[in-house]
Amino acid sequence: MAKVNILNYEINCSQGNLQETLEAIKHDRIDKSLKRIQASQEDVEIPYYLFKEEIKQDQKSIYEAIRNLLVKIIPAIEESKRSSTALIIGTSLVDWHLVDAINASVYENEKTPYTSQKYSIDSYAKELSYEFGLNDFTMTINTACTSSANALLEASNMIDIGLFEYAIVIGVEIFSPIMSSGFYAMDLIANSVAKPFDLDRDGLVLGEAIAGILLGKEDTVWSLEGGFSNCNSHTITSVSQSGDECVEVMQKALKNSRVEAKEITALKTHATGSHSNDLAELNAISKVFESSLTFTALKPYVGHTIGASGVLEIALLMAAVDDGFIPKTYFCEKPILPEYRPIAEHKKCKEGIFMCNYFGFGGNNISMIIKKEIS
Amino acid sequence: MKLYIKNYSSYRSDQEDINIKQVLKQKYKLDTRRQDDFIHLALYGAQLLKEKTVIRADDELYVTSGYGDVDVVQRTNTYVNKEKQPVKLFDFINLLGNTTSYYVAKSLNISGKNIFQISDNFTYINSLISLYASIRNSQKDAILCAIDLASTPTEVSKRVLGVDEDAETVSSVNYQKFSLDAEDAIAEIEFDMKTYSLDEVNTMLAEENRTVLSSIRCMKLQSLKDSKFFETLASYAVNSAMKKNEDMVYIDCFEEKYKILKLKSLR
Repeated sequence: MAKVNILNYEINCSQGNLQETLEAIKHDRIDKSLKRIQASQEDVEIPYYLFKEEIKQDQKSIYEAIRNLLVKIIPAIEESKRSSTALIIGTSLVDWHLVDAINASVYENEKTPYTSQKYSIDSYAKELSYEFGLNDFTMTINTACTSSANALLEASNMIDIGLFEYAIVIGVEIFSPIMSSGFYAMDLIANSVAKPFDLDRDGLVLGEAIAGILLGKEDTVWSLEGGFSNCNSHTITSVSQSGDECVEVMQKALKNSRVEAKEITALKTHATGSHSNDLAELNAISKVFESSLTFTALKPYVGHTIGASGVLEIALLMAAVDDGFIPKTYFCEKPILPEYRPIAEHKKCKEGIFMCNYFGFGGNNISMIIKKEIS
Repeated sequence: MKLYIKNYSSYRSDQEDINIKQVLKQKYKLDTRRQDDFIHLALYGAQLLKEKTVIRADDELYVTSGYGDVDVVQRTNTYVNKEKQPVKLFDFINLLGNTTSYYVAKSLNISGKNIFQISDNFTYINSLISLYASIRNSQKDAILCAIDLASTPTEVSKRVLGVDEDAETVSSVNYQKFSLDAEDAIAEIEFDMKTYSLDEVNTMLAEENRTVLSSIRCMKLQSLKDSKFFETLASYAVNSAMKKNEDMVYIDCFEEKYKILKLKSLR
């Protein structure tokens, strides 16, 4: 896979926009909330990284929220080039258009008139492409935690062979009673905080985010050098504890990017804080890298934003490096493997080659290599 | 853009009335527990393809659909949004788009790339475009599964598809295995990024000798149309033409914009 460049990026998450989130990370001022969800016997409160201003679960609110992010990215594209810009969304959102159609068909009191409008989970992207004069090509990818990471790789392929000049990739995840209840039912939610790679880790904390990245071929300091995506997990919900599936994607991502493991400046791990995922990822890291590797986890700052995490965490890493550091990992006091410990303090870093991991439900695993070259 | 088709499989509920779950269990010895009809339909098409062609572990897999698995959204909507009950574990897992593609990949012994995607407009053609870009880079082969399930009540799917209340929707799953290599291909398919106006399409069709089919969305176009509908009908039309060793032009339309697929039989 040939490289494409990363021209612009922006986020909106529990800590605010990119600058606000960066400040929160630098000054240890991370906001986390509680959210009441439906559990088996009674409602429970779970920790949650929620937007500062609630985004309601309806199409109009979701559309506006994505639009607000998009208007910060689009100015980087000349007006005349917008028709050669694809828009790809990665999300695991429930399709509210479908829910509305179900309600209107099944519940008499919710009956609404028929329209000749086609709807799907991709309707947000389609309507936004019309509004901003982008190319007709839109696509929404749902591969759970790897959704927007997969979207980045798909977009880079299309730019690389010249189908588009630019592609905007947006990751979207907004609180959903269904998704949160599902994670709770699987006993995957932490009591209080996610403790990546810690022996006492007890689960993940979900988060909301909308994040976008603009890809193109114009010269800039950041590039997506390559990556690898596969689907060979041991079970539908987890990789094997040996981490062999993760080893494969990391090694093939390095190969596709023509980079050797020793050249990696730092690794942004997937590190959800769940028992099996962290163990598998750490075992994989120990098979691919020396113990001197610098690695960190970003989910303790913003939560596990599922479909949005691909774009969000790359954007956060880039913002931190642009600011001169790699963020430390919170809450890892007793590391699973003592010789492989995520960084406990922010580490100075202005450029380099970075690996970003995403290992998710549904068997999908991805590693991507990004690079910042100031010269 | 041109892709070669190595083989295909096709199923339509209005042409063959079978108990898919039973066939998967009895004929193909697959574990069908904890799975929805949508997943079963995808698995059935995959098994039909497996019988006809060689599938490699590193083949890429793309799954696309008009609106995905309605049944699981309907169930979870009832439990969680209406009855205020927690979601059931396997409904939660089946809600994720890539759950279907995971089961398909496992049944085909594929361990490579695996994408579940939906495009509002030109669902099938947009998937061909991303698949083409991917295998141009990876130099691998790719399998595309286009699937639509007409669940009950059918009003749900008609509403999201935006088709008439009296339109007849059916379930269908269609697979093709694509390659950049022409060797042993049974057909080639051509498509481009461009969208055309009605006038441009009519001008092209005036000189067209091949069979021309179009989606019922092409209401202003005088051409043959299937009387029944599902969003990924283009994929079925491609398979149907290959079955008859015919050349074909397929036209899809979305909001007055047209896209064209050209199929050439190599047999």
